[in-house]
Amino acid sequence: MRAPSWVRVMLVHLVLLVVTVAALYPVLWVLKMALTPGQSFAVDPWPIPQTVTFENFAHVINTETSEGGWLFGRQLFNSLVISLSTAAVGLALSTSAAYALSRFKFVGKEAGMGAFLITQMFPGVVMLIPLYLLLDTMNLLDNLLGLVFVYATTSVPFSVWTLKGYFDTLPRELEEAAMMDGASRWQTFTQVVLPLATPALAVTGLFSFMTAWNEFILATTLVSKPEQFTLPIVLQRYVNDYNAEWGHFAAGAILVSLPVVALFFALQRYFVEGLTAGSVKG
Amino acid sequence: MTALLLLLATASASEVTVWHSYSGAEQAALEQVADDWESTHPDDRVSLVALPFGGFDTKVDTAIPRGNGPDLFIAAHGNVAKWVLEGVIEPWTSDTTGIAPVGLDAFTVDEQLWGLPIATKSLVLLYDPSRIASPPQTTDELIAMARAETADGHYGLAYQAADPYFHAPWMHAFGAVAIDDDGTVSLDGDAQVQSFAFARRLAVDEGIAPTQPTGELVSRLYEDGDVTFVISGPWFTADLSRPVAAAPFPMVSETGLPARPYLTVDGIYQAKGAPSPELAQDLAWAIASAHGAQTRQDVGGQAVTWTATTGASPLVQTLRTQAETAIPMPTHPDISAVWEAQAYALRRVMRGSASPERAGREAQARFEQLQQKDVVEVSRSPYIAAFGVLLLGLVGMLVVRLRNPELRNELAATKWDYFWIGPAALAMIALVVTPFVLGAAVSLYAYQGGEWTFVGLSHFSDILLSRDFPITSPMSFFYTLAVTILWTVTNLTLHVSIGVALALVLREPWIRMRGMWRALLILPWAVPNYITALIWKSMFHAQYGAINKLLAIVTPGPGPVEFDWFAQFSTSFAANLATNTWLGFPFMMVVTLGALQAIPKDLEEAAEVDGAGYLTRLRHVVWPLLRPALLPAILLGSVWTFNMFNVVYLVSSGEPDGSTEILISEAYRWAFSRNNQYGYAAAYAVLIFGVLLVYSRAANRLVGRKVL
Amino acid sequence: MATVTLDNLHKAYGETVVLDGVNVEVASGEYIVLVGPSGCGKSTLLRCIAGLETITAGELCIGGKRANERAPRDRGVAMVFQSYALYPHMTVRDNMAFALKVAKVSKKERYAQVDEAAALLELTPLLDRLPGQLSGGQRQRVAMGRAIVRRPDVFLFDEPLSNLDPALRGHMRVELKRMHRRLGATIVHVTHDQVEALTLADRIVVLDKGQVQQVGSPRDLFERPANVFVATFIGAPAMNLLPVIGEGETCRLEGLEQALPVSGTGAFTLGLRPSDMFLADSGIPGVVDVIESLGSEAMVHVTVGAHDVVVRAEEPVQVNSGDVVHLKLSTVHRFDGTTGRRLE
Ligand SMILES: Nc1ncnc2c1ncn2[C@@H]1O[C@H](COP(=O)(O)OP(=O)(O)OP(=O)(O)O)[C@@H](O)[C@H]1O
Ligand SMILES: [Mg+2]
Repeated sequence: MRAPSWVRVMLVHLVLLVVTVAALYPVLWVLKMALTPGQSFAVDPWPIPQTVTFENFAHVINTETSEGGWLFGRQLFNSLVISLSTAAVGLALSTSAAYALSRFKFVGKEAGMGAFLITQMFPGVVMLIPLYLLLDTMNLLDNLLGLVFVYATTSVPFSVWTLKGYFDTLPRELEEAAMMDGASRWQTFTQVVLPLATPALAVTGLFSFMTAWNEFILATTLVSKPEQFTLPIVLQRYVNDYNAEWGHFAAGAILVSLPVVALFFALQRYFVEGLTAGSVKG
Repeated sequence: MTALLLLLATASASEVTVWHSYSGAEQAALEQVADDWESTHPDDRVSLVALPFGGFDTKVDTAIPRGNGPDLFIAAHGNVAKWVLEGVIEPWTSDTTGIAPVGLDAFTVDEQLWGLPIATKSLVLLYDPSRIASPPQTTDELIAMARAETADGHYGLAYQAADPYFHAPWMHAFGAVAIDDDGTVSLDGDAQVQSFAFARRLAVDEGIAPTQPTGELVSRLYEDGDVTFVISGPWFTADLSRPVAAAPFPMVSETGLPARPYLTVDGIYQAKGAPSPELAQDLAWAIASAHGAQTRQDVGGQAVTWTATTGASPLVQTLRTQAETAIPMPTHPDISAVWEAQAYALRRVMRGSASPERAGREAQARFEQLQQKDVVEVSRSPYIAAFGVLLLGLVGMLVVRLRNPELRNELAATKWDYFWIGPAALAMIALVVTPFVLGAAVSLYAYQGGEWTFVGLSHFSDILLSRDFPITSPMSFFYTLAVTILWTVTNLTLHVSIGVALALVLREPWIRMRGMWRALLILPWAVPNYITALIWKSMFHAQYGAINKLLAIVTPGPGPVEFDWFAQFSTSFAANLATNTWLGFPFMMVVTLGALQAIPKDLEEAAEVDGAGYLTRLRHVVWPLLRPALLPAILLGSVWTFNMFNVVYLVSSGEPDGSTEILISEAYRWAFSRNNQYGYAAAYAVLIFGVLLVYSRAANRLVGRKVL
Repeated sequence: MATVTLDNLHKAYGETVVLDGVNVEVASGEYIVLVGPSGCGKSTLLRCIAGLETITAGELCIGGKRANERAPRDRGVAMVFQSYALYPHMTVRDNMAFALKVAKVSKKERYAQVDEAAALLELTPLLDRLPGQLSGGQRQRVAMGRAIVRRPDVFLFDEPLSNLDPALRGHMRVELKRMHRRLGATIVHVTHDQVEALTLADRIVVLDKGQVQQVGSPRDLFERPANVFVATFIGAPAMNLLPVIGEGETCRLEGLEQALPVSGTGAFTLGLRPSDMFLADSGIPGVVDVIESLGSEAMVHVTVGAHDVVVRAEEPVQVNSGDVVHLKLSTVHRFDGTTGRRLE
């Protein structure tokens, strides 16, 4: 196609710049509050800090447990362990299910796909207390494993949806070739299909990770040992009805967001591909 | 092995777990007291668990009855009556000598003490000692002094005028109460109405106070030296770097009666089923009395209930003085409904959208709607019979289908396939479907004062026939449903149009630094949405929000823009919408970018050769190919938006007057404020699910294929 | 090496019948080519043999044993797909070694066998590349190599050459022939290129609408086509078909006064290959319509009566468009006017 005139190029870039600034504005603000000394909410519209200090970060990072342990490190560790396990368990559950839904023809397959998506319509509000009771019965309260199971299953429907869509676009001949080569269904799946589905696996893995990383309502309800708390629970404590430590909150928010943002950037080349496919066929 | 178990058993028996939600200095003081206790009890350990304030009550309600609670927990006395009813706490039977009576009163239910009071909290009048030598004795004096202090950017007085807790001192001075001992509420009474008018005068008409003050805003103003008088509590001084002085509330000049704030008393509760009650009581007493009290006072700045402490700071002394006239916070189960109604009235009065009289009448009406209705137990037998018939029918259908030999053959041939979806399906059934079904079953019950009563489908009939509210009221199901639909449609329209537009731009081969733009534009998606929702809410603040500041730059004319975004439905809804659009467009953009990749370039080139302009190509080539790929994402996105709780709850919080609430946030309010009407909330949840189910079936039919 | 027997094979997708009673016996070591128009069920038949499709009815035997229920990997067959289906995430070496890896052959052994096959197909310098970095012909050879490494009893090729340019296709045809000779394997090869069929096959199976039309050697098919379909399908340009009415020693063609010197009775279809006619001074009269020159020879379209007949002629051709010419016939084919079956 012809190259457009430079006026148009400039104009489009300008619009892009404005939209991007708008998109970044609130984020910059959080950054500003985190870097500005004090705990008050930034008020002037200029999102660049006047004085820069890292004391808010230092405060959040250096908070100690009542035993003098390193609280932030402990909670960061918990969050990482939980989120990574959630991604792993979530993928383990959803890849094989998505593959079966994409390739096999078994009785009740249509209904099965429908059922996975229907769970997306459950309003979470009423599920909190029953979930508590269930985990209690299974002896999984106050147990990071319990949280991991809950998060992983929550992430399953979206993962199955994305992965199934992606599998649908993979040419079947590759799998047939593998079967001709003597591979079993399972070998075909693990050695041919999964390596080819990397983009979709990366995207769904990231979303499962995020489900766990950002969640705090379930975490507060299902866990009562401080040594098992995750980062978002800690963040909640900075802003409550009585007082708001905005500086600490902002610094904490950035520390919490950082890993996810980093993962987003690292995996973003997979996004376009991994999600697309997910939506080409329902 | 046995030895190890024994060891574990004894180890856990001598550990005392205490839940609290203290932070900062109060937390430090508590930790010190616990350390001191441990040093005198070498075999025992204290485990202090700081829980977020928000989820504390729910956690107590769920954990203790299941035996997962702590030994002790520290909380205000507000829920004591409820917890007694629910049976989650033990009475306090040991000695209480030395504890101030006002504290003991607060924890007494049916002439029995249910907790050990440790500290009082109440609002006091705080002021800047560098500007005011002696505090005012009457409100007229206060107003006069504040007026003298008010000048360009500096305010005389700042407090959260629209919050019933902050309004209470004036209410009491006009002779009104929130709720009588026998549960009578008259928000439309003369005394109430006069107090509304007074609050309006103080916070708005006199022009001595900033608009829409939130707690953090008040502390920021004081920290910056921009306000002289502040009404707040002991927590206010915690992180303050400037000096502050405290005085008891002045007398209200109109009535000649003292303004009396609420008194909240923090106390130590002993959880039911604590493994070693004696040890727990020993620790509780250590915290409440003598050395513990002194530490909490000196280190934590608490106004302790232990009368024999010495060396209290002026602030603590003022708090103690105020505690003598303060009125203990009511513990009646209906109190949360009163507050919601009163807050509603106060906001209307402050905004000037209703006269005090009218606001009072409306508030009273709202209270009556929110109040727990009398529950009528209905017989279970017809329901059990209907359920049985349904179950039998299902089993029958299954048997008939399974007797079909063709189906059986097919099942036999594909049986291994089920192992592939088995794990996911089982996990979903266990941890998603079961909780939902259990939660939904709750909709057949009414919960009141710790008791579940079977009420059959009456919640559903109440909601669907709009029995309790006129159908046009923001409280009615259908009004909220309409708002929710509007919310979903507008959001999706914006998400898709912005997402598609950006994707189309980013696709052009002549865009520079495409990767950078794309990365920056998906950033809103990467930041947890509860963080950004809080930020956005603050950006919409009428006086200090960045949005209005930006508007001031672009609008002509001098002076600040102080547009109240949450005062009317349209702009409040727009604020929610802006936030959620910001959160939602990146997903659509990424999906569109992917779908665009799948459109062969030569199709468009062919159209270009045929002489089609850019827009024609978009309309006739790109869009028809894009649409089917976007549809599933749009439908799934609509389901997510329909249930997007965080944004509505955190940004507009339903303002004004609950009109921007969507179904899911309304259900949340019924469940967790408004007296935990779980059954009613569950009925809402079931209806939400029903609406979405119908929607998805209709969407599939409309699209002509199974997408959702 | 193994025999493959298809006994009354049926395949249907729901209501659509794709294979309708196919009977073929493939001898051990035989090169069989399956031809037929697009959509006639060639790929389906191949996939049934491979075990990628379930057989609706009938029996499939490989090596003399019933194989209907056997899993693909237990049938001893290897398949080369039309799209080659190379694993994009594996190098050429790993692609070729995959089957051995799955069969738990040791790494050393695996690579030794791959190297051997690669040398055979001149793939050695490409072993460390990914399929995306290969040309079409190279990919085709890798696909072949992958099949060879497995040392199957039966090779199944689904249009393996159709993605190649004509020159390369010619070259690969020779390679295939060589390979077959060297390995002595049983090969079932699907194509709709009849040159491929005629040059490669020991025997050709012609398939139409899910039914076998004829099985035979290329010569057989060319010289004695079993019906009108085979007659027109094999041979280029296609055989001329003329509806005639037999009158004993001669027969009549519509619109032509002169009788044709072909014996027969009743209405039947006369089949004349362009190569079985020549231009002469006397014979059946016609008018030259168009002349297509192909270099050493030319196709002359002649209007005979109301019909267009294509005649092959040596270049240089001496006639021009509009000239009146006469045709002489050498070999003729007769087909039943209604069933299309060959008449002897
Ligand atoms: N899964 C299916 N469901 C229904 N019909 C099918 C299916 N697969 C193939 N067919 C039909 O079966 C017929 C034979 O298909 P097949 O692929 O065997 O043809 P082919 O001879 O290989 O054609 P080509 O030369 O074009 O490759 C076609 O009409 C096709 O439409
Ligand atoms: Mg084919």
